[in-house]
Amino acid sequence: MKDHNPPTAAPATSPSRRAFLRGIPVLTAAAAMAPAPVLAADATHHWAMLVDVRKCIGCQACTVACIQENAVPEGSFRTFVSTYSVKLADAEQPAGTYMLPRLCNHCDQPPCVPVCPVGATFKRADGIVVVDGDRCVGCAYCVQACPYDARFINHDTDKAEKCTFCAHRVDAGLLPACVETCVGGARIFGDLNDPAGELRRRLDAAKAEVKVLKPESGTEPRVFYIGLDERFQGRVEGQGTLWQPRATHG
Amino acid sequence: MKIERRELIAAGGLAAFAVGFSQTLGRMLSGLVGDAPKAHNIHGRSAEPEFSVDPATGALRPNPNQQVSYTACLGCTTQCGVRVRVDRASGNVIRVAGNPYSPLSTEPHLPMKASVRDSLVALSRFQDKGLAGRSTACGRGNAAMDQMNSPFRVLTPLKRVGPRNGGQWQPISFEQLVRELVEGGDLFGEGHVEGFAALRDLATPIDPDAPELGPKVNQVALLSSVNDGREPFARRFWNQAYGTLNFVGHGSYCGGAYRSGSGALFGDLKKMPHAKPDLANAEFVLFIGTAPGNAGNPFKRTGTLLAKGRSEGRLEYVVIDPVLTNADNRAAGERGRWVPIRPGTDGALVMGMMRWMFENGRVNTAYLGYPNLNAAEAAGEPSFTNASWLVVAEKGHPREGRFLRGSDIGIAVAEEEKHKDADPYLVQGPDGKPMPADVATGPAPLEAAAPVMVGDRKLAVNTAFELLRESALKLGLAEYAGICGVPEAVITGLADEFTRHGRKACAIAHGGMMAGNGFYNAYAVVTLNALIGNLNWKGGFVVNGGGFKDAGAGPRYELETFPGAVKPKGTPLGRNVPYEKSAEFARRKAAGKAYPARDAWFPNAPGLGTEWFPAMLRGYPYGVKALILWSSNPLYGIAGLRPLVEKALADPKKLPLIVSVDPLINESNAFADYIVPDSLMYESWGWSAPWNGVPTKATTARWPVVEPKAAKTSHAPDAPAIGMETLFIALAQAMKLPGFGPAGLADIEGNRLPLERPEDWYLRGGANVAFGGKAPVGDATDEDLALSGVERLRPLLEATLKPDEWRKVAFLYTRGGRYQPAKEAQDETNPEWQTNRFKNALWLWNDNVGGTKNSLTGKRFTGCATWQPPAFADGTPMRDVHKESDWPLLVVSYKSALQNSYSIATRITSLHPDNPVIVHPEDAARLGLATGDLARIQTPGGEATCRVIVHEGVMRGVLAVEHGYGHRELGARAHTLGDARQPERPDLRAGVNLNDLGLADPTRGNQAIWVDAVSGTSVRNGLPAKLMRI
Repeated sequence: MKDHNPPTAAPATSPSRRAFLRGIPVLTAAAAMAPAPVLAADATHHWAMLVDVRKCIGCQACTVACIQENAVPEGSFRTFVSTYSVKLADAEQPAGTYMLPRLCNHCDQPPCVPVCPVGATFKRADGIVVVDGDRCVGCAYCVQACPYDARFINHDTDKAEKCTFCAHRVDAGLLPACVETCVGGARIFGDLNDPAGELRRRLDAAKAEVKVLKPESGTEPRVFYIGLDERFQGRVEGQGTLWQPRATHG
Repeated sequence: MKIERRELIAAGGLAAFAVGFSQTLGRMLSGLVGDAPKAHNIHGRSAEPEFSVDPATGALRPNPNQQVSYTACLGCTTQCGVRVRVDRASGNVIRVAGNPYSPLSTEPHLPMKASVRDSLVALSRFQDKGLAGRSTACGRGNAAMDQMNSPFRVLTPLKRVGPRNGGQWQPISFEQLVRELVEGGDLFGEGHVEGFAALRDLATPIDPDAPELGPKVNQVALLSSVNDGREPFARRFWNQAYGTLNFVGHGSYCGGAYRSGSGALFGDLKKMPHAKPDLANAEFVLFIGTAPGNAGNPFKRTGTLLAKGRSEGRLEYVVIDPVLTNADNRAAGERGRWVPIRPGTDGALVMGMMRWMFENGRVNTAYLGYPNLNAAEAAGEPSFTNASWLVVAEKGHPREGRFLRGSDIGIAVAEEEKHKDADPYLVQGPDGKPMPADVATGPAPLEAAAPVMVGDRKLAVNTAFELLRESALKLGLAEYAGICGVPEAVITGLADEFTRHGRKACAIAHGGMMAGNGFYNAYAVVTLNALIGNLNWKGGFVVNGGGFKDAGAGPRYELETFPGAVKPKGTPLGRNVPYEKSAEFARRKAAGKAYPARDAWFPNAPGLGTEWFPAMLRGYPYGVKALILWSSNPLYGIAGLRPLVEKALADPKKLPLIVSVDPLINESNAFADYIVPDSLMYESWGWSAPWNGVPTKATTARWPVVEPKAAKTSHAPDAPAIGMETLFIALAQAMKLPGFGPAGLADIEGNRLPLERPEDWYLRGGANVAFGGKAPVGDATDEDLALSGVERLRPLLEATLKPDEWRKVAFLYTRGGRYQPAKEAQDETNPEWQTNRFKNALWLWNDNVGGTKNSLTGKRFTGCATWQPPAFADGTPMRDVHKESDWPLLVVSYKSALQNSYSIATRITSLHPDNPVIVHPEDAARLGLATGDLARIQTPGGEATCRVIVHEGVMRGVLAVEHGYGHRELGARAHTLGDARQPERPDLRAGVNLNDLGLADPTRGNQAIWVDAVSGTSVRNGLPAKLMRI
């Protein structure tokens, strides 16, 4: 990812929280607006992903599957699990591991689209943000504009590239490669417009726990997370996290 | 997406890799598959989907350009069932995902009656089936296939040119290879080398004065790695046809200490049964020296169940380890915790927990009282222990430390059965007198009230329970806490929580036990389970379902034995037999001093690869004339071995012939005289079963879903590829050995059949699998064959098998194996009990251990879980030799979440190119080190330059080294093969291999490596060390 400047809309962080966050790139996670069930009259689908961070085991199955499915060049990634050893302040467990699967957020307000001088990058009616390789001139404006650093220039093709939710698979009735092979079962893919679908049901059940990355940037991401905020807040207050006998045991 | 430098600063963080390789790879691939495919305007170079599924109807439409097949992975020892997607035009594997029929990849797995079509639809978006029935392959599994097209692959037989380990090879024909191996000769211009034919001497003893060593054929030895589903074939050749005793795997330098500790509890130190937490149903699990979901076996199944358990709120777990890993996940909050501990002190922590449990009434004494399975089952317990059995405690008694047996108190037992199975174990009966344990109908006392009267002599006895309790009470809690560095409150807290979940708690260990006291640490961890009685309970400590046997005596083919089969005999190279039965012992005893032996013996260990090299190169118990390295890499994998033996190994006078069968050149077979190519990943045959952690029966089918790339054995049009099987078949035929050739095997009616090609063996093994179990499997349909790529095998299946067999064997291949339904994990009539149960006693006291002596000192070993500091072979504590003042730190190895010991030249390396040594901030501050600094790490065994990473994810005083780096081979050195030179990849040398820093044992004259004195397993955790800034 590019440098993450402290976002202006970020809530004030306490000193202990800062200590806890040491080693983690500054990112903010806050409650997302519940996405509207239907966004466009002509859209049958509105594809989205939910990442339950509690289930991630950091195995990078998604990363490697994506590389192989999409012939991603060495050194570039369409998706990736950032893995951190986090110092825990005011806690007996001195450190913990934190994983954060990242990919293109397929924003409803994608900052990459308006900056494209040739109209190569656009949002499909089904919500997937794509790059038309036939138009792309490789100027990398979109790479700069993406707040999630989800894009790169493929030096084999000199085109901008990024996660497409494996549109070629989704269009064939299949799941994105990363979802298919997620060992922890952290990644859920589905249609926001399908109220009976797994994605929608999980989003609705989790409600306030559902977060997005950098909500203040107004991008309206369509990659949602469970387990982003609790982990921060839970430790920030410095409760003992190392396992101790519980007072509640009778 | 680019990875920022700062992520490197994180443990397990991954870093972008130099771009250089991408060009190499790009060139390499385009060279293989022709021009780069034309890119779609949106999908770019993404692969075509392998099939499509109509989201409305679920109708499946295959892509004729691709083949989707179910087979087995070999990216690690788990050997998951996977689905491999092959580009038909190029024969290249595009990507790998899970096999939905396999419990190693799917939870719960699909029933076998589902058609192949249904299994593919089950992976799609249709009705969100692909989410509910997600079937996965891990990152390493997906990346490991890169080796199939690796520029470092060995594809033709190679013969060394110049000295051993010189990196120069001459490709030779298969014919020349077989001739030279069999006949020997002046093969290298260094003098005569004996060939396999001359070395197969089944009659002449190695040493007439020590006939127990066996015949000279034992001087041919094979070191393998893991049973990848092909081991029974290799053993048929080396053990049964050729006749050597010496065939051993990698266990003693993998997680053998855990296995031995478990073997002690399960009462079998040779086969070493073990169990795993039932993660699907457990409430509280202690992982001590093992990192669930970070690495291990079964890797994915454990990770999946851990993630599910902690996010659903059922499971809590604590990982106790010197190093923080991906087993921790802060997003899951207090559902999972990490407790750092000093290396090699797990026994102190666990004995402290036991002490608290004994003192606070938290040991399940009601359960422990049942002395046999019938009494236990009658009381609703699915397992039992030997807690109540009586042990001879009389000081100086010849049977001190052994169980009191029927024959000891005058029960009539045939002389040859004395102290064997038919001689009953005893418990204290209702009348206070000993009675056979197996006839008791209720609980027996856990405390021996009084000495037993034998004739008119009193004999002091204890129960196993008493001995364990005494062992736990040996030290106070504060002392235990001081030793392991875990606060007393945490130890008691862990004990408290562990005993609050009934049978739905469990404690388990693995590779973290590989310390200088690993056996006792492991025995202690697994004994915790016996104290709460969780064995065989749903949610408790559960055993593997096992597999369906392929190489058995039927039901369709006799693959177990054959006329003329040799029964190898003698003393194994690793001396894992009693010293007291050797000629040396008799000689020394006669001379008045039975102890010490010349060197350590390991009567309570399985075959020991750790001991092989010092043994064969020093000639104790005997020297070796030919060594076969089959897919094994002991010089990289055994701590301390390389510095000890690399000079001798390079000397053909010390070891005249080294032959390797391996698809790659590694740190060990670089010393070989010949390297024979082998199949790799999805090119191989085999039948494998899960190692553990799958409660239902499971057998995974491995078959060549792509053509093996190695050269063919001849120019004949149907000649098979060179590999392990074709080599051994050719050797057998050249030496006219039984069990191979035109009449090499037989069907169950006794009709002789050929064993001349790999499929002669594996397809018939498949028939045994298909017809085994309660009822034969069904028949594969033509559609199953077409959709799974098994159509390729159809001519072979029809030609090799009988008409009623081939579709059943095809059924296994179309589904990638045979799997018992997931719902059968628990007993039908008792849903809280497991279906597959361990039915023998759990041994709180193991008298095989407690009744044997250390061959260097003549002192008896302790027969139960106990705390002992890490020590050398004669019991001298390591810290008495290597003082803390000289070596203030301890190094540990930890398993990588991504890299294994042979996956270095794959895409994994670009994700994670290096293994910086983790240093605790307090240690780093004292040493003036910061993340990214270079430092010198030094142990009494060696030194290396490393980069350090400083963070709190490691115990104070500990240096943590991730396994899988510091390679010298597997691409890290370019070899010359004839006129061709391999590519230069100096980046593959990155990092440190902890095993290069392992120690020799000063109490064994520094002539052998440091191993655990009971289990003989290599010591890689807790190496004394210092670190210096450079």
